[in-house]
Amino acid sequence: MKFKHASSLLLVCCATLASGCTSLGVKPWQRDVLAREEMQLDADPLDAAIDDHMYFSKEASSGGRSFAGGGCGCN
Amino acid sequence: MQLKPKALQPNATNARRRLIAASCALLGAAGARSQQANVAPADSGLLEDWSVDSALAYYHEDGRILAIEPVVNLAKVFADGQSLNFNGTFDSLSGSSPNGALTSHTAQTFASPSGKAAHAYTTAPGQLPVDPHYQDTRIAVGANWTVPFTRVDQVSVGAKLSDEHDFLSATVSASIAHDFNEKNTTLSFGIDNEYDSLHPIGGAPVAGSDYALAEKQTGGKTKDGVGVLLGVTQVMTRNWLSEFNVSVDRFKGYLNDPYKITSIIDSAGNTTGYEYESRPDQRTRKSAYWENRVAWNSPLSTALSLRYMSDDWGIRSDTALLHVRWSLSNRDRYIEPTFRWYRQTAASFYTPFIPSTAEPTTGYESSDSRLGAFRALTYGVKYAQKLPGVGGRAESEFSIRAEYYQQTFAERVPVPAGLQGLDLYPGLKAILVQIGWRF
Repeated sequence: MKFKHASSLLLVCCATLASGCTSLGVKPWQRDVLAREEMQLDADPLDAAIDDHMYFSKEASSGGRSFAGGGCGCN
Repeated sequence: MQLKPKALQPNATNARRRLIAASCALLGAAGARSQQANVAPADSGLLEDWSVDSALAYYHEDGRILAIEPVVNLAKVFADGQSLNFNGTFDSLSGSSPNGALTSHTAQTFASPSGKAAHAYTTAPGQLPVDPHYQDTRIAVGANWTVPFTRVDQVSVGAKLSDEHDFLSATVSASIAHDFNEKNTTLSFGIDNEYDSLHPIGGAPVAGSDYALAEKQTGGKTKDGVGVLLGVTQVMTRNWLSEFNVSVDRFKGYLNDPYKITSIIDSAGNTTGYEYESRPDQRTRKSAYWENRVAWNSPLSTALSLRYMSDDWGIRSDTALLHVRWSLSNRDRYIEPTFRWYRQTAASFYTPFIPSTAEPTTGYESSDSRLGAFRALTYGVKYAQKLPGVGGRAESEFSIRAEYYQQTFAERVPVPAGLQGLDLYPGLKAILVQIGWRF
């Protein structure tokens, strides 16, 4: 029963999210600001990679933006 | 994920940067997150060229590790929209690494992991025990291939290999991304599998065994992990982009640090011995990540990301990272201050020392400070300047950045009177200086 309720809730959430997304956004000719380098999610990939490596070796957390694995014996 | 601007015809530099971004998203969903490849103009001559993003990082901890790390990424977009990239990293590390033992009022002598008498070391009273002979090099290479198979779908596959003196890691990943709602919304799903092989110097110690007995196991150890990531990227407004990811990963196998030991302390505060650490042989982490990029006006934009992570070792962490970019001179240069705040709780089996009066247990224990409760702050600033291009390219970009990182331990367990006055939680201070050049 609980599972049924959870599934219904998830379905409602997904539907709400999907309908919400359709009301967001811009037209193709309105992407001038989004085209800027600093608006890209990976604007500075090497900076992020070097920082991620540093934090991976010094903290117990990693990932989130991408996968958590480090491929490094440092932690 | 990546939404590309469709209204603007990207210039050569922008196209290269997007390509580099797509490629550098090191394996995984990040590869599919970016649909950048689709936007590169098919008639551009630059498609014949490889884009290059490079950096040299200098990292130095106060009194501990020094690392030099050159990194390079090569990327190319083909006329049909496919993209290919290769990246390489070299790490040179040296200096002193904490061995996990507790600071003491008396001198402490340790054998090196290799067992070589010449590498034995003594820590002075009041000093944090560190192995002064730490040295390692790491070479990592990776490749990623992204293929659009419809106008709104693309798949990405990647592989990465990392090799150190005592550690070998191989990772494969695959991801898929789907655009809809006029490419204002992108859903992505990725999975990765990492396999690690460890050959600790001197052999892997028996977990939880007496350090003095030096019980080492022959042969290597392995661990492997699988991670999945589900992400949605949404264009909120003309100047606001948002991304939300949830991910889960599970590692199994040898998860100990073979070089970490834990001090055994009597009621008077004297060190009576040491024990090799013992961690569970599996770990599951879950995380939620939310990033928002907002262009406030022409020169000013911000990128704020928040992350929550928890695992079945009892660790919870919160992270907030803020970049503020101020563009100058018609966007030919910019300055970007950065601030990061992080905190984590301790693993359930973390302990800075083992009381000698404690009942013998077969449970887990580790004094690795990275499993303790602490807060960390990072302050940074970056400056980037566009320069004339090289190799026929329109322009290049030089950058330099610096960061200061500091850990402060938050929770402190009661200690015997004999340990009073010692700095048992010295924390960590480090600087990072990096120069970059991309063209």
